[in-house]
Amino acid sequence: MSVRFSATRRLGAFTYTAELDADREIVVLFGHSGAGKSITLQMIAGLLRPDAGHIEIDGQPVFDSATNLNLAPQERGVGYVVQDLALFKHMTVGENVAFGIPKGRDRAPRVAELLALLGLSGFDGRKPRTLSGGQQQRVALARALAREARLLLLDEPFSALDDSLRSGLRRELLRLKDELGLTILFVTHDLREAHLLAGRLAVFDEGQLLQFGPRDDVFRRPLSRRVGELTGVTNIWRGIVTATTSQSMTLDTGGMELHAPVPDVVLPPGTEVDVLVRAERINLRRDHATGANILRAAIIEEFAYGATHTLRLQPAGPGPVLEVEIASRPYEVLGVADRKNWSIELPVEDIHVVRAS
Amino acid sequence: MTRARTADRGVVTIVGLLIFAFALFFVLPFAGLIDRAIDDGQAWQLWRTETARNALVLSLWTSTVSVIIAIIFGTPVAFVLARANFRGKALLDAVIDLPIVLPPTVAGVALLTAFGRRGLIGEPLESWTGITLGFTTTAVIMAQVLVSAPFFVRAAKSGFEAVDSNVERVAWTLGASRVRTFFRVILPQAWPALLAGTILAWSRAMGELGATLIFAGNFEGKTQTMPLAIISAFEGSTLGLAGAISLSLVLLVVALTVLVLFRLAAGRAAGSA
Repeated sequence: MSVRFSATRRLGAFTYTAELDADREIVVLFGHSGAGKSITLQMIAGLLRPDAGHIEIDGQPVFDSATNLNLAPQERGVGYVVQDLALFKHMTVGENVAFGIPKGRDRAPRVAELLALLGLSGFDGRKPRTLSGGQQQRVALARALAREARLLLLDEPFSALDDSLRSGLRRELLRLKDELGLTILFVTHDLREAHLLAGRLAVFDEGQLLQFGPRDDVFRRPLSRRVGELTGVTNIWRGIVTATTSQSMTLDTGGMELHAPVPDVVLPPGTEVDVLVRAERINLRRDHATGANILRAAIIEEFAYGATHTLRLQPAGPGPVLEVEIASRPYEVLGVADRKNWSIELPVEDIHVVRAS
Repeated sequence: MTRARTADRGVVTIVGLLIFAFALFFVLPFAGLIDRAIDDGQAWQLWRTETARNALVLSLWTSTVSVIIAIIFGTPVAFVLARANFRGKALLDAVIDLPIVLPPTVAGVALLTAFGRRGLIGEPLESWTGITLGFTTTAVIMAQVLVSAPFFVRAAKSGFEAVDSNVERVAWTLGASRVRTFFRVILPQAWPALLAGTILAWSRAMGELGATLIFAGNFEGKTQTMPLAIISAFEGSTLGLAGAISLSLVLLVVALTVLVLFRLAAGRAAGSA
């Protein structure tokens, strides 16, 4: 099942605009709260009317402002799961799941099948509030799937859960997607969740869809400084293009010379640019190697996050403070804790340059 | 003993005395009522007089009809107030609340000026159809609806508001019509609040005096409800003071029953949430 979506709508101070599509994949809608992610799902589900636009589910138009078509949520056949789950608390688990199955159909086997699929067999007589958070989550998913919905709209479905439960459910969602051939639009503001689940990623900010593309494209090559900020790029520096050849581009970043790949759109010397480098792409080296983008720097601050360490380094020469993320194992092997001065390598292919905004 | 502890003790003693005095003030009148009824020794006979029986029967059925009307009209109003956003919503909300804060006598005068024989609607209604509303049993019910329905609407509205609107939206995406969503999803979650509102409205209708007296008058068997019968007894009807006491006892028993039912309903509501 596929979905094609384009819509605009006035929303208080700003205007919402977005255009995206999905087909048997997980598209993650990522951004801060109020960025326009949930609104997108509501428009697709038929719960919020765009001012203008066109929405197609499985090739069938469900909304079209030009022809004044607007199918009711009941007729769109999508599964919609919200953060608070909105389970029918006066009904049993089985009744919740059966609610969406059309009359006349034999509900019992279908309910049993869905409960089994989500590991809830034996719970059908229980009330939702007697279940754990993770189990309630599964009930909400089973209920959304009960109408044979192959398009799932999931609005931060896991954000109320503990970390340990979330990772299990995320993996389960990936399994369900493959098993049932689902198309899933998944809203989250959690970067790790977005990274794990997304086939493609849509980054929203202030009602605008800033970038939509394959996950790694968006993470490695953000279209703008803002997308970089939102997707967790911590090294963002203002710079100027000093030279461009067919193989590489040279930048002056606060006195620090950096080499970067030539971007698709050629930026002539003198262009003001934003330089984006992900903290986990920067290497620490013990040796005194010299070469492109290798410089000496001293650790001025460090933060331990358990699995990773974040270091802040001051270059020996001119240049901005660099943030480096290093996994805890290399951190120990290299002996980072006992040494202040390092060679820092910023791989040329990981220097991402966008025109300054 | 430190000064702080001495001060604490003093405050605790004062609070205790305040609670005791307040509780006493609430209990004493009822004790007096019961004491007097036992002294007179004729409560039982008086309950069985025709005047008393007429008043009780009239009170019971009119207040029940009033509450049914309040539910039929008040439920949609409460739901719309809880869910929809429209121009004039705040105004409608305030108008419905008005009878709660208004003295019932004012409600009675207002009803008379609208529906009485010389009233805004009452006069043309009588000249076209010959129907008179004032000083009839219908007027009793109208007075009761006006003063009691707001209590139902208020309770039902907060009941509906407490149902997560996402629950409603999810039900729609599952193919449920708005009607099915209301009866299968919203009502089952909101009913304890609606029940509480029903009981509140019913007891308010049972106790209605001021508006009824002005708009419906005080005619035995027709418009004389329990509270009116009590007033009449005081003013020297055949029942006398002993009759007033005896009727008051009946209303007290009714009120206590209602209170217990209300607590049970509220308990159920808390339990199912």
